[in-house]
Amino acid sequence: METQTKTIFSSQNMGKLLGAAALTFLGAFAVYHLLHDGLLPLAGMISAIVIFLVLILVKKSLTPYRWLAVGLVMAFLFTVFPILYTVFLSFTNMSSGHLVTKPQAVERILAQTYKPDHVPTYSWEAYQNTSGEWLLLVFDQDNKAFDVRPGSDLKPIEVPGDPPAAIDGYKLLDPVQKIQKLQALTEVEFGHGSNLITIQDPMTAAAVVPQYQYDEAQNTMTDKSTGLLYTNKGGTYTSSAGDVLIPGYMVGIGTNNYSRFLGNTGYLAPIGEIIIWNIGFSLFSVLISFAIGMAIAQLFENVPGSRLIRALLIIPYPIPVLVSIMIWRGLLNENMGLVTNLLQHIFGSAPHFFTDISWARFAIILINVYLSYPYFFVLATGALKSVPRDIYEAAEIDGASAWMSFRAITLPMVMRILMPLLIASFSFNFNNFTLIWGFNAGLPAMADTVVPMGHTDLMISFIYRLGFSTASAADYGFSAAITVVLFLLVGLMVFFQVRNAKSLKESR
Amino acid sequence: MVTHNKPLTLVLKYLLALVLIIFAVVPFLWIISTSFNQAKSLLGARLIPEHLTLGNYSELLTSQTLNFSLWMWNSFKISTISVFLIVAITVISSYALSRFRFKGKRAIMLIIMILNVFPGILAMIALYSLMQQIGGYVPWLGLNTHGGLIAIYVSGAMSINVLMVKGYIDTIPIDLDESAMIEGATSWQAFWKIVFPVIRPIVITIAILAFMATYGDFIIANLLLKGNDQITVMVGIFQFTQQRFDTNWGIVTAGTVIAAIPVAVLFFFTQKQILSGIISGAVKE
Repeated sequence: METQTKTIFSSQNMGKLLGAAALTFLGAFAVYHLLHDGLLPLAGMISAIVIFLVLILVKKSLTPYRWLAVGLVMAFLFTVFPILYTVFLSFTNMSSGHLVTKPQAVERILAQTYKPDHVPTYSWEAYQNTSGEWLLLVFDQDNKAFDVRPGSDLKPIEVPGDPPAAIDGYKLLDPVQKIQKLQALTEVEFGHGSNLITIQDPMTAAAVVPQYQYDEAQNTMTDKSTGLLYTNKGGTYTSSAGDVLIPGYMVGIGTNNYSRFLGNTGYLAPIGEIIIWNIGFSLFSVLISFAIGMAIAQLFENVPGSRLIRALLIIPYPIPVLVSIMIWRGLLNENMGLVTNLLQHIFGSAPHFFTDISWARFAIILINVYLSYPYFFVLATGALKSVPRDIYEAAEIDGASAWMSFRAITLPMVMRILMPLLIASFSFNFNNFTLIWGFNAGLPAMADTVVPMGHTDLMISFIYRLGFSTASAADYGFSAAITVVLFLLVGLMVFFQVRNAKSLKESR
Repeated sequence: MVTHNKPLTLVLKYLLALVLIIFAVVPFLWIISTSFNQAKSLLGARLIPEHLTLGNYSELLTSQTLNFSLWMWNSFKISTISVFLIVAITVISSYALSRFRFKGKRAIMLIIMILNVFPGILAMIALYSLMQQIGGYVPWLGLNTHGGLIAIYVSGAMSINVLMVKGYIDTIPIDLDESAMIEGATSWQAFWKIVFPVIRPIVITIAILAFMATYGDFIIANLLLKGNDQITVMVGIFQFTQQRFDTNWGIVTAGTVIAAIPVAVLFFFTQKQILSGIISGAVKE
């Protein structure tokens, strides 16, 4: 019989140790690259994940975590990290022109080349293989031929007469292709290290050298073609004449993003309007949808044909939300929509559901009620079933009317069951981006705002426009700062939600 | 309720039902009828079309500029892969959280509950930036990739599904797995052979709900995917309507009808399961 004690050399332990070693090695490799590129927050997150994985692999008391590892790692990387990273970004100037880190910006600037005077020039022929890689055949002044590819040195090659139709599986471009692909070709650097050749025009290729020299201690760039000095100004290398090098990089700017809107009525007034509408929109959406859902569940329970009525009323539920929004966009279209035409026909005029602020808001709440009442109908049906029947009978004997017993018994009991879901629904609607962006993208626009804002914008669509609108420059740092303020608002709702949750107290 | 309907109450109830049914059904009927309408623009859209045609559908599916069938395929692929991963990760995590005692379990439950109510999409600026950075090292996981989108779907679906499934496993007597383990089964065998077959109903429910959620998602897909042959059908429909809403209304409607069919059919056949899943999740909490 074997003893119970296992030696450290048992095959199982060896496997674990090897696994831990491999993980550590891979993690160190990844973190090294992230640090090299200046991505500090992500490097920190990856380090934490690797340490966690190694620990649960080697420590026996942590074995249960192996069941949770994949889920936890994904949740931390893709859900928790972005929340923390938002806070980080809110203290930086990350925006168009400052999207990369300093090491990345330096690397890209140093990769830029120019053609000094008096360098060797060549005539050229280009070749391309099936996977799209390039090969350049160049002829120097003495008509000696070289084969040069991106990332490898010039290699002399014997070319008697015309350029061959193919070299090593690369096919020669004919004159027409040569012109068609010239643009792409001029962006390719052939050669390796400091021996670089780029294509200058359809006839000539020339040796090129890096254009900028980097002084790490002074954090300056010198343009070798002009001798001009570029110094760092807030993450951009800028010359004394005001010329800048692209790209700039991300730098910490303290609380500038916050003071930009917190002390500024130009921002605060419209943001205040957005927040008030945002709260009103969520509140009315939830209350009306809940009221309708509750009414359906309660009123049509015992009428003849209730099955059919319920089946018809559930129809909006399975239709994808965006599809329903598109349908309503058509129905309410100001010139040609079915609803507007009908109202026009009956009343002689129809509301402007897209250009009038109040009607636009009305339309959005109406659509949201359409989208969400079936959900509350389902929930209310379930909640009603859990109200004991005999209470009603007792109430009826005591002479209570149907309305009274609804007010005194049904509603409070249903509300108690559904309260967490009502709050969850409020918080979901508070950030209902799809509805706003799908219906009218927050329009009509507010007049004279510092950045584009709309009268039906929710905070989240406002933030999205700040970050990703194609019309203006992206400003991630600033929108991150506004997001952080929003975190605090939503965090309040989350707090009430979690504090009331029973399942946490019950968890074994 | 035990009350009887007086005739007047009944009439009022039916009147209310009628109004609500018009509200619920007219948009649905209208979109179907206009998708078969010969008039292509919104101007000609009527509840009862004058000339029926399949032209909108054939134009949509044969168009060289729209990649409609590819968008549908992308949506199916992304949702199906996401659902498999979501189910696998959820079920395994939930079993551990329900059955094992270990340090830090309360903290993990708290994190899961917070994530469940905290709308992670608020952090979209940072999420976008994160995906861009990841894509620099792992190209198939970056911006404009299906891998990246699936990763976000799977991690985002974790919290709600773990809460549902863990709650369900909690109701299964632990004696069941313990007796199996006394007979020499490992925890994995106890989970796979004993518990998993029992929780199959909730697994099917979360799979269907996850499919509906990922298939219908607009916000994350719109954030991540840019290329015309990468986007999902929801992003495709949205982009298409941005460009030619009024004049090509016929094709738009054909697209929305086709896009709605998969989940509508899925819902139709699994209605009972989904609704009772939602109710039991809600009423238990």
